Amino acid sequence: MAAALVVSSRGWGKLRQILAAGKGAGASCAVLWRRGCSSQQEHVSHNEDLPIQMENPYKDPPKRCVLCGINVDYKNVQLLSQFVSPYTGRIYGRHITGLCGKKQKEISKAIKRAHVIGFMPVVYKDPTFLNDPKICDIRHPE
Amino acid sequence: MPRYELALLLKAMQRPEMAAALKRTIEALMERGAVVRNLENLGERSLPYKISKHNQDHRRGGYFLVDFDGPPTIISTLMDHLGRDVDVIRPTFIKHPVSKTEECSGIIPVNYEDKLYTKKK
Repeated sequence: MAAALVVSSRGWGKLRQILAAGKGAGASCAVLWRRGCSSQQEHVSHNEDLPIQMENPYKDPPKRCVLCGINVDYKNVQLLSQFVSPYTGRIYGRHITGLCGKKQKEISKAIKRAHVIGFMPVVYKDPTFLNDPKICDIRHPE
Repeated sequence: MPRYELALLLKAMQRPEMAAALKRTIEALMERGAVVRNLENLGERSLPYKISKHNQDHRRGGYFLVDFDGPPTIISTLMDHLGRDVDVIRPTFIKHPVSKTEECSGIIPVNYEDKLYTKKK
């Protein structure tokens, strides 16, 4: 028992010696391993090489509808007639005109106002405006 | 005093009669305490549809725009007054449209998933 104890203590001591020696060598190895390790770069942060958080610089500007920035008025019958069917005089929906919510509502209100006041015809499109450039994505059956 | 716009359709008449009708209208406005800013003539054109008024059918008319400031109480009395005038086809009072070209920020893409689920409470 005593012999065993002695052996173990001896063993532990040797182990400790080996570990100590190993540690010293290991530490020096570890130090050499790190790239360009000098006393100046002791406070190097680990995040230097990671990408910097910033807003996407290649983002597209927000899509604008045709009337963005244009004032819609009930007196401007030519503009209003571009969003109306030439055959029936009906107002085109949002999926056809491609306008944003605000502008579609404004156009709709202006057209109805123009109808009541007597500026714009109701059941057809004014013939003088039939050859205006087409904004709406309507596909009439031919 | 809020600002109003009177879109006036007058019967297609000769110049002196048209001028007399306009004068009558503006005097009626000023009598009731309105301050007339501007009077615009949008020309004489054919009406978009036939309008029957005062036992007559009108197909052509003179378009005028009267810009004025006035108390809101006079509007109903003026509508009455202009309704009785034989030369006036259609008078319409509108709040003066403030022509503000706000900087439209464009179409903001809507997150449809959020719209679908958050309403479930």
